[in-house]
Amino acid sequence: MFIAGLAAALVLGIGVFGTGRKGSVTRAQQTTSATEVKIDNFSFGPVTLTVPVGTTVTWTNRDDIPHNTVSTDDPKIFKSKVLDTDEKFAFTFSKPGTYSYFCSIHPKMTGKVIVQ
Amino acid sequence: MIAAFLETAAPRGANVVLALEIVMGIALLLGAWLARKRRFRQHAWCQSTIVLLNFAVVAAIMVPSFRAHVLPRIPAKLGKAYYALATMHGALGTITELAGLYILLSAGTSVLPEKLRITKYKLWMRSVLGLWWVVLLLGMATYTRWYVPHLFRK
Repeated sequence: MFIAGLAAALVLGIGVFGTGRKGSVTRAQQTTSATEVKIDNFSFGPVTLTVPVGTTVTWTNRDDIPHNTVSTDDPKIFKSKVLDTDEKFAFTFSKPGTYSYFCSIHPKMTGKVIVQ
Repeated sequence: MIAAFLETAAPRGANVVLALEIVMGIALLLGAWLARKRRFRQHAWCQSTIVLLNFAVVAAIMVPSFRAHVLPRIPAKLGKAYYALATMHGALGTITELAGLYILLSAGTSVLPEKLRITKYKLWMRSVLGLWWVVLLLGMATYTRWYVPHLFRK
């Protein structure tokens, strides 16, 4: 009985632990060190990008409709023109910080660049 | 309908304009019904208000949006539905609004000289009402193409 209880506790423990690790993997995937953000299907990918200071981040519109990239800061730190399919916009982040941005044509599309 | 709006990628302003245009389209039909019932005064007020309100919406919201997002890309990108729908909506909408203003000036005021005034009112009014609804449907198609994800994808 004790062994059965221990086994059940272990299984449950692994289950909980496993779930926790899965969550951290998902977060890690969202904060890649890539310097390109793809715009596709009304979303930025990755949603959160972590880069070192001095990195140039390039946004490429892979969607079949126009989008843009505008920082939420006031005054705007960066603002792209309207990007048609396959057009790009690049910006170099020279100071550490968290830079949130969005598409002003579709304001529900948001993303973030964390500069460390 | 509100839930459907929230699921799109449209800004609030675009949702408000779409709702307003649908209401105006329905109100024009109501105005036409008033004319059939020979309530011409109410008919005139209803249709005139809508034509003027639409003119304000077009001038304040649609024209700036068209100039920013569509005009720099035409005619080069007219092959894409995104630009083609907006351009057709814009072109036909301009003709329809101008025709509506012409009817308003001709039937409701004495601003225009006699020889420039309409004689066949019914034909003009019915044509503009039909065109208005074509433009409204084109506007809905433009909204869908601009702001609804997944619709044209497999």
